[in-house]
Amino acid sequence: MRKTNCKLIRRELDELMLGEAWSAAATEHLRECVECREFHMQQTKLRKIVGSLGTVEAPADFDFRLRARLAKDASSAPIYWRLVRSGLVVAATMIIVATGVVVVRDAMRQGENIGEVARKPEVHQPVKPDQAPVIVTEEKKSDDVVAAVTPATIRKIRPTQADYKKRPLSSFAISSTRASVLNGAESAGVSTAFPIDSSIQSFTVSLEDGRGNAKTISVPTVSFGSQRIVQSGNQFAPKRDW
Amino acid sequence: MNFRRIISVVLLVGALSYQSVASGQTPAPAPKAPKPPAAPQVVTIIHRLNGLKMFRLLLRSEQVQSIDALDSAFNLMDDVHTNVIAGLAMDDGETIAAWLPEADVEFGPPVVAFPAAPRPPKSPRVFSLFDGPDVSVIGPDGKQLPAKYIGLDAATGLSILRLENKNVVSAGVIKDEPVNSGDSVLLFGPEPVTKTRPVLARMGAIEGRVENVMLAPSGGIARFKVSAAKLSKANIGGVAVNQAGDTIGIIDGLEGNEASILPAALIKRAAQRVLERQASVPRPWLGVKGEAVAALKLDQIQNHGWEMTRAAALVGKHRGILLTSIVPGSPAERAELRAGDVILKVDDKDIQTADEFTWWLEQAGPSSSVEFTVVRPDRPVEWALNVKLSGMLDQWSRVNWRSRFPSMKGFWLIDQGIETIALKPLVALQLGTTPGLLVVYVDPVAAAFEAGLEPGDVIQTINGKPVSAFRTTPNSDLYTFEVVRKKQKRVVKVPAKKK
Repeated sequence: MRKTNCKLIRRELDELMLGEAWSAAATEHLRECVECREFHMQQTKLRKIVGSLGTVEAPADFDFRLRARLAKDASSAPIYWRLVRSGLVVAATMIIVATGVVVVRDAMRQGENIGEVARKPEVHQPVKPDQAPVIVTEEKKSDDVVAAVTPATIRKIRPTQADYKKRPLSSFAISSTRASVLNGAESAGVSTAFPIDSSIQSFTVSLEDGRGNAKTISVPTVSFGSQRIVQSGNQFAPKRDW
Repeated sequence: MNFRRIISVVLLVGALSYQSVASGQTPAPAPKAPKPPAAPQVVTIIHRLNGLKMFRLLLRSEQVQSIDALDSAFNLMDDVHTNVIAGLAMDDGETIAAWLPEADVEFGPPVVAFPAAPRPPKSPRVFSLFDGPDVSVIGPDGKQLPAKYIGLDAATGLSILRLENKNVVSAGVIKDEPVNSGDSVLLFGPEPVTKTRPVLARMGAIEGRVENVMLAPSGGIARFKVSAAKLSKANIGGVAVNQAGDTIGIIDGLEGNEASILPAALIKRAAQRVLERQASVPRPWLGVKGEAVAALKLDQIQNHGWEMTRAAALVGKHRGILLTSIVPGSPAERAELRAGDVILKVDDKDIQTADEFTWWLEQAGPSSSVEFTVVRPDRPVEWALNVKLSGMLDQWSRVNWRSRFPSMKGFWLIDQGIETIALKPLVALQLGTTPGLLVVYVDPVAAAFEAGLEPGDVIQTINGKPVSAFRTTPNSDLYTFEVVRKKQKRVVKVPAKKK
């Protein structure tokens, strides 16, 4: 109870102007409470010291500097508020980036799907490291193959650029065992990308060896590295052939 | 205040979880900014092959007599394949060395005495189809650089090109210093970035480590092996660069998980050979097949006529190359070497392995004379034999053709320097001609070339007879070819090759 009175009386004394009279209750409390009396005396003394000080002229740029100081002080807000604000910024950034990624990816998928409509499924299979880049299909006697090429399928000898545009993308194939996606992880050093003006038609041919054996050979449109695109087990071993 | 903390925590957790979900849906992490090229001396070579060249390639690699069917839109003269390969800018600022896998298919196979200077065709006829590989060079900045194909060094397999403008590519240091096991290297080569048309490519590199250095019999490095995590056939032809950025070699093959590297000193020597001649340089050719004695079992040597005791002595010494066959008409046959002979020395250098034999023949060079020390099953002592080597531009030859297709029609055409493939009726119709033999190559030094026969011609008749019914006549001095060229019939008269 007394503590409560001390608190109330000290607040009243603190709010009083110098020389202003306090209330009867405060007078009675100060008579009995030594601690509050000392508090009042110190407060009065401090006020007198401050009041004895001369006036100080503010510099011309005080207003500007004060605003700058206030702005700086505002940036050193409490830690929880800074966390909240940075969290909001991160969240907003994430949402923007993620939305952008989704939109761009969807757009790219749409583009790929347009191309895939005309592609053969096997064209998209990545070439494994141990795979030969050339697809060779053994067949029986080639009568069926020849029969498949009817006069209706035979086109004019030298196709125009317009023909190329009409040609299905099944003729486009890449043989490479290197990374096909730029993710920066598969290479120790990379340069900027540049376009390869590649050939536009593929090479798929059915041939016969003169003994009734037929096979179909398909060569990719583009290959990377110095691997031979048509391998043969019949070549002489160079190290044993001088 | 507690409420604010809760809000901030919820927002943070939400943001982080959204990020993790979003990254889980994305197939690849965000692309890193491309590093600048660490080896500016590495360029990209684009090598294009048209349909006619592809036929020639098939002729060499497959047992093919006739073409039965083609793509509906196929055209002989259009490009059908593009190969993207690494090239090395040499330190003179204008020479490019590259391992073009199919370059040898673009030249004739001269199984003849190698002349001191390239023999030009007698007629100055310009031959646009086969006057050189269709190659272009792309610099590290992605711009095309005008360049000229100079020639193929058959001993190393390297093609040498010359840039028209000097110093447009930063020539790196080509290091001749020894390469040590354990050294870190970067293997540079072009790789696709996208598979959309046009294909986007870039110069990539993988890290590797030198595992094994093989010294040449004459000193220096013959080859070294590099292991790397992502090696594949696509790395063949790539340029090996050390940590300082100096060129140390070109990948010339894969053996398991290791890349075989042709060292810088041999690349420089190959470029020098080609530049001196300003033409392709064949590899030395002896005309034998064989195996190192050290790699054979006793009974394998005995099967070639060796008596047990002497065969055991040979095996015990681990010396020499046992010849298993001799090519008719070759330098070996002219020097009277036989199957079963063992070559112990080349110019006083002891031979223990096949690689050593290859090395010393290559050091001698085509058209040079070498001295072999030979032992023979029925001859008790070894003796010296001088042999004049010939030259061969590639592994494939007319000799190989003969051995592979003994029953095939067209021997005579091959002997005349004419390579052909038969066209079935529907394929001929598709190509705008009638059935016959499609000429895929004419040797520029052959009489047929001088007479005007060209790749792309379809031979209909020879001496008035259909090609299927044609038989050579020994006393004929002139052969008359009826051909279709660009839908028009022509007659080409070719003098018979004198034996």
